[in-house]
Amino acid sequence: MQLRSKMLLYNLLAKGLILLVFLMSGPFFLKYFAVKNTDTRLLEKRENVLQIIRNQGLDNFFVEEDYSRGFGSYNILKEEYILLERIAEPFLVDTIYNEERIIEEVSVTYRVCSYVFSFEEDYFLLEIGRSLETIKDIERIMFRILYITFFIFLLLTFFLDSAFGKWLVRPFKQIVENKLLHIKEPQQFQYSPIKTSTDEFRLLDESLSEMMKRIQKAFNQEREFISHASHELKTPLSILQSKVEGIFNLPDLKQEQMEKLMDMQSTVQKMKKMVNSLLLISKVNNAQFLKTDSVDLGELLSDLHQEWKSMADDKNIKMLLQKNELYQFTATNESLCIMMVQNALVNALKYTPDRGKISLSGEKTESGYQITVVDNGKGISKEMMDQIQNGTVFLKDASKDKSGFGLQLIYKIGLFLNVGVQIETNTNGTSLIFDFKN
Amino acid sequence: MRILLVEDEIKLADEICGYLKGEEYVCDTSPTFASASENIAINPYDFILLDLGLPDGDGMDLINEIKENQENAIIIILTARSEISDRVEGLEKGADDYLPKPFSLLELKARMQAIVRRKSGWNKEEITIGSFMLDLGNKTVSHSGNPISLTKKEFNVLHFLLIHKNRVINRYQLAEHLWGDHIEDDYQSNFIDVHIKNIRKKLGEFAPVDWLETIRGIGYKIQA
Repeated sequence: MQLRSKMLLYNLLAKGLILLVFLMSGPFFLKYFAVKNTDTRLLEKRENVLQIIRNQGLDNFFVEEDYSRGFGSYNILKEEYILLERIAEPFLVDTIYNEERIIEEVSVTYRVCSYVFSFEEDYFLLEIGRSLETIKDIERIMFRILYITFFIFLLLTFFLDSAFGKWLVRPFKQIVENKLLHIKEPQQFQYSPIKTSTDEFRLLDESLSEMMKRIQKAFNQEREFISHASHELKTPLSILQSKVEGIFNLPDLKQEQMEKLMDMQSTVQKMKKMVNSLLLISKVNNAQFLKTDSVDLGELLSDLHQEWKSMADDKNIKMLLQKNELYQFTATNESLCIMMVQNALVNALKYTPDRGKISLSGEKTESGYQITVVDNGKGISKEMMDQIQNGTVFLKDASKDKSGFGLQLIYKIGLFLNVGVQIETNTNGTSLIFDFKN
Repeated sequence: MRILLVEDEIKLADEICGYLKGEEYVCDTSPTFASASENIAINPYDFILLDLGLPDGDGMDLINEIKENQENAIIIILTARSEISDRVEGLEKGADDYLPKPFSLLELKARMQAIVRRKSGWNKEEITIGSFMLDLGNKTVSHSGNPISLTKKEFNVLHFLLIHKNRVINRYQLAEHLWGDHIEDDYQSNFIDVHIKNIRKKLGEFAPVDWLETIRGIGYKIQA
């Protein structure tokens, strides 16, 4: 899961939870404060009524001091009422409570303030009531508003957090894409700092640059070592080869002498090839080849087929070019391309028995081009395949008691040229598939 | 033709010069940058074979001096350096070819001849052997005007043997000329026999090819 998605999810859940608690407890608080406010209002009104009675007597409530009938009054909408009646026995009442009343066949809940007071030796019960329906209405409206606010808030939060998260991790994406994913060779690394105001990303960027400097330094040291080793090994080999060739050119050499010189030449050649192959692997590993060529893979296959067919014929091997669609593979190295496919072909020739068959084909695919070299030889042993997959440089062929670089070179070049190399092998033969992706 | 060999390895320089003298070239050697610079300033040369790693300087810097003093000299860089950038830089500065060490002396001669042919505009140069004619420009072989279909490699084998006619060329030298050094082990040297067999078969349909001799266990020789 992406960091951005995690942050977004966390924010939504955290804010949602807080809002939910607020939403659930909101109506209770609302009701509490509304009732409290109503009580205050009722007490104020009670005080007003008592003040009127104290100032003006009970004439406003009773006609000619006839207290036998109580006084009661509702306002038009039945939202409030006032009740005043004389009581025979004095008892102390000073309370506020809820009471359900049926008025005109409609049940209405009132908040009632009851109070007993004495006036001119009589005791009176005063009740002032206020309908709670209004509070319930407000409660319902508030609840609806809160719900809507809750969802709008969550929706806005989602979009804002999403946009902010995207903006926040953008430098990280830039670091990964520009400085890690697209870097195949250390020298391609871009040291220009990524624009960010986030300290952590700046630190990551700087750390990567520092690490890459160290890698490049090691890389350059290795390159320098290759260059020097190349010189130190190749110069003595040159002298040896020149001397052998010099003797070979002498007139009147006997057959026996020439055969001994051939043995020497064979040893020099083996040393040369080993040094060159090792250096080639190192150079490919260090990306010391230019990739500026454009190669027609169909033509390459056709040329190789033409070149090696006579060798196959000589060994009674049928070499078939089944398909060779033309296709331009760009930004590559032609000599490495040829070397890679040619090595596969030579390997097939080497391990295919008399009257065997080798098929070559090159065809376009959705992602580029595919060259397949299939032989019906005895296949590559499991031991060899393990070595290839483990990236062993000196492949040891136990059955032939010799070391070789051929397959390893195919793999290394494939990696450098961005060509997928796949080997399928069993006792009935081997298929080598090259996937060229432009 | 006069050649200046700039090479600090005395033993190697002796071998190369010895070979070139045997090929009727006049060869001077310069083991250092200073001595090479002096020779370039004083003597006219047709070829300058230049090693890059000199004890008192970089051979690459000599290319500018050569271009100033010996405009028509052909420069071939001979070096053990493996950096691709050296090759590109050398050729960009004006070198005509680049032969990485270790190289075969026969390959050096073949390259020198190819450059002379290219520079002189001898693209239509033709060589005859027996009753056959090799057109080096078009890389074709014909007999009395009848074209003979040889593959690219077969033509190269025949041409290489012709350049070094009357000399035994072993399988390794031929294989190195055809494939370079990067095909695994010496397996491909056996393929030379197949090429020779095909050349004999294709040419033999028109006229005897007894001038192409097999030296048993060693290689081949064109006797002309």
